[in-house]
Amino acid sequence: MKRNLNIATALALGVSLSISLSAGDAQKMVDEAMKVDVAKACDVKSNGLETVVATAAKFNPAAIELGVEFKRLGIRNKEYIRGLQEALKSKSKTVTLHYKKKGKEKTKTFPVDYAAERACKFAVRALQQVREAEKTWRLAVPGDGYKF
Amino acid sequence: MIAKAVKATVAVMIGGVLLNAGSFDVQAEKDRQALVKYFMKKFSDPVKNRGQFFPYATEEDMKNIMPVKKVEDFRLGSYAFSKVGRSQYEEINEMPPYEDDIDAGEELYNGTKGIKECFPDPAIAGEYPKFDEKQGKVVTLSVAINDCLKAHGQKPWKLTKGKIADLEAFFAAKSKEAGKKVHITIPSKAAAEAYERGKKAYYAQRGYLKLSCANCHVQGSGNRVRREYLSPLLGATTHFPVYRLKWQGLGTLERRIKGCEKNQGENPHKPGSQWVSEILYFMAYMSNGLPVDGPDIRK
Ligand code: HEC
Repeated sequence: MKRNLNIATALALGVSLSISLSAGDAQKMVDEAMKVDVAKACDVKSNGLETVVATAAKFNPAAIELGVEFKRLGIRNKEYIRGLQEALKSKSKTVTLHYKKKGKEKTKTFPVDYAAERACKFAVRALQQVREAEKTWRLAVPGDGYKF
Repeated sequence: MIAKAVKATVAVMIGGVLLNAGSFDVQAEKDRQALVKYFMKKFSDPVKNRGQFFPYATEEDMKNIMPVKKVEDFRLGSYAFSKVGRSQYEEINEMPPYEDDIDAGEELYNGTKGIKECFPDPAIAGEYPKFDEKQGKVVTLSVAINDCLKAHGQKPWKLTKGKIADLEAFFAAKSKEAGKKVHITIPSKAAAEAYERGKKAYYAQRGYLKLSCANCHVQGSGNRVRREYLSPLLGATTHFPVYRLKWQGLGTLERRIKGCEKNQGENPHKPGSQWVSEILYFMAYMSNGLPVDGPDIRK
């Protein structure tokens, strides 16, 4: 039963990932991301792995659409998410990701809980930063908000 | 008497603005002048300005940072103020590693179908990025070259290195030879909007490090990240394409900016995308009036 649920979740996530968003929808996701407390929402212990991966997969497409997707160690957040979804399916405790560095194929393995938390925070924070930057960017412009 | 003279001057200035109705670059010009003022002040006397502008500098850093006296010097990037950087730079430039690329670029200019018709005057490196009114968008030099190839039934080139960088090296060398200056124009409301989007992209914090380009290249310029001194936004586009020792070859602005986005922890935007072209439009405008100085070398 639990297993079926996992597969269902994974399938649902796969579908939601492949839908591309319009710019207006992406802005709505920014509004929604502003209501999220990442420390709470991305905590695997209290929410469970599936939920945290689902949160990552819910927000990341909007980050892609807005051109603010995070990338760490040469790996895009959507690749972390894809790896996590596969790990959910196979009930693996680790996620193995393949990426390229300076043209060379590399792999890296992470514990699933750690990777899920990361992917979730990255997805939500990318969107929150869009809204935060609206308020802060002018503060850095010489002759505008930045006085010297 | 003086008051009268001032009034007259103001009237003339306002008249000038009105005559220029359709001066869509008023804001950009304000931004540029403020940026020049900022960098001239910051680097006029680094030792005196240490508390305000170089709070993280060590004693050793302070010994390495030279004052910058002329605005033109900012075309040298961090070598405008880093003593060690400048002496290594001058040493490498005695035998410039990009000379073969300029020759290769000249051959491409003469031998590639369409290129000469699209760019009858090769000394145009300082005119790009340009706002193309017909397409309603910013085109960088790299994008303009590819548009030209496509219009003549040819396959586009890679936007970051290879042939495109060689051809741009030839354009830059011709422009430098002719004493050209950076001359970016904002001819319409749509162009001014593209400029503003580019500016916002430059100053907005992004990526998992939550850094903006400005964190490193405006406020951070002159400070050090690991062993590298951060170059100023002013002059950042004047000398491309660049031969980087790290690349062991030439690269375009599109290539350089991609690396910096990666450093911020962001999935880089595609070369040739609106985002990249508009941020480069903003950056190049900031260098208006500086001499075209490409190709050049950087670490
Ligand atoms: C973490 C700091 C950091 C951030 C953020 C950053 N860069 Fe850089 N950038 C560097 C370093 C280090 C270099 C190499 C040293 C130098 O020339 O400044 C560099 C070099 C450059 C150069 C080449 C300068 C030259 O003289 O040839 C350009 C252009 C540039 N960056 C553009 C950008 C843009 C655009 C952004 C934002 C998308 C950006 N950078 C964000 C650190 C940063």
